[in-house]
Amino acid sequence: MNDILTSLRRTPYQTFAALSVLFFTLLLSGLLFISLTFLQGLLNYVETRPRVIVYFQVKADEDQIFAVRDKIKNTNKTTEIKYVSKEEAFEIYKEFTQNDPLLLEMTSAEILPASLEIDATKPEYLPELAEMLQNQPGVDEVQYQKDIIDNLLSLTSKVRKTTVVFFGYLMFMSIIVLTTTLSFKIALKREEIGILKLLGASNMYIRRPFIGESIFLGALAAALSNIVLIGTLISMNSFLQGYFAGIPNLMISLGGMPLQVWPFNLSFAVATLAITSIFSLFITLTSSFVATNRYLK
Amino acid sequence: MISFQNVTVRYPLGNLALEKISFDIEDGEFVYLVGPSGAGKTTILRLLLDDIDVHEGSVTVDDFEVTAPKFHQATQLRQKIGIVFQDFKILSESNVYENVALSMLVKGYHKSRIAKEVEEALRLTGIEDKKYFFPVQLSAGELQRVAIARAVAGDRSIILADEPTGNLDPQTTWEVMKIFKKLEKTKTIIFATHNTDIVNSMKRRVIVLKKGKLIKDKQKGGYEL
Repeated sequence: MNDILTSLRRTPYQTFAALSVLFFTLLLSGLLFISLTFLQGLLNYVETRPRVIVYFQVKADEDQIFAVRDKIKNTNKTTEIKYVSKEEAFEIYKEFTQNDPLLLEMTSAEILPASLEIDATKPEYLPELAEMLQNQPGVDEVQYQKDIIDNLLSLTSKVRKTTVVFFGYLMFMSIIVLTTTLSFKIALKREEIGILKLLGASNMYIRRPFIGESIFLGALAAALSNIVLIGTLISMNSFLQGYFAGIPNLMISLGGMPLQVWPFNLSFAVATLAITSIFSLFITLTSSFVATNRYLK
Repeated sequence: MISFQNVTVRYPLGNLALEKISFDIEDGEFVYLVGPSGAGKTTILRLLLDDIDVHEGSVTVDDFEVTAPKFHQATQLRQKIGIVFQDFKILSESNVYENVALSMLVKGYHKSRIAKEVEEALRLTGIEDKKYFFPVQLSAGELQRVAIARAVAGDRSIILADEPTGNLDPQTTWEVMKIFKKLEKTKTIIFATHNTDIVNSMKRRVIVLKKGKLIKDKQKGGYEL
């Protein structure tokens, strides 16, 4: 450990450059991981709760709405139907726009539509219920989860593709910077490496200090990026609580194991740390092997 | 045992470094390799370390057939051999103890064994009082003693010395030779030099090389070209 710290102290600029690149790569990787897990968690949540929301025209009265509700109830394909009146809709709107008084001033309960939130017994009943609702008097718009799922799927797919491209680029850049930094250090120790080889040192023995140094930098970068990530998530907690209001939890499956994404918990923090550490290990091991290989040949 | 059989080595441009060289060296022998610069002395030492390729012939060191087409045991071979260079090749950022310990660290020895063997090697070479000195604090003679201690430590049965007295004054040269004299009882020593006085005063087997050819191989010989 002392040798690693001494070596890093002797080359402060290279150490700073390598640490910065690793830190930003791991920070962005962590952000992408968190975004993807939230999207996937949301997708899983929506898929397990088949729901249709029907918005009525502003002029539709409650009798009209209740008639529709009873008709849908009689199909026996629903578990729960919740009526959201104009006033309740306005209360929800007020909650969402509490930080923007101008928006609130321009709106009243009268211009907001009443709605029914209908939970189906099975997801496959959703198209049938939606079609039925669309033909009812006073109905303005029917939203059911096909739209939401389609949107979420499309968003998740875009984020995944972006992640692959962006992450590939970041990995490549990190490996290049770290390899260059290590190559510089190895060049300074070329004579020492020559002596070690003549004394019968194995390639692994010669590599070990460089691998140790890059793993140390990687671990430091992973720790720092996780501190920033977790700090950011904690500071955003109240905003996210409002955003995910009504959603008790978001779950995903990570490597076959269930992982709770929301609300934040220790397991999720550990999973994020593990993922960034794996990336860090991959980058540092690849770089140190590439850099040392050139000299060991 | 070391054996060279019809060994030919060419430089990258095609000219000969060694031409059909053959000799055997028994365990525990002290052999001088003499000859003018470019005679092939260092090439022979490098062949023994598997540091260059042979074009014809074979080189064997104990059980290692160094010139075999698929020889992948250079690490194990080198762990049997200690090397002493004219320019010492001592790590400047490590102290005497660490430089000598390196010889055993590469072999994976335990700390306690390393400490014991470093002490022995430093006592043998007469620099036990300089254990924690750094190379900048040592004279040329002392640096060469460190190099010899490093070559000896860690059960290395063969010592290759490439002009080890080349950078030393006459008095220090004789002090270093005394160390080699002590070593010859337990090690095989191949001593490349063109110092006539050393070869003539300490009569041992002499292999004379000239322009890559072995021109004389004499037991208890002197320096004759």
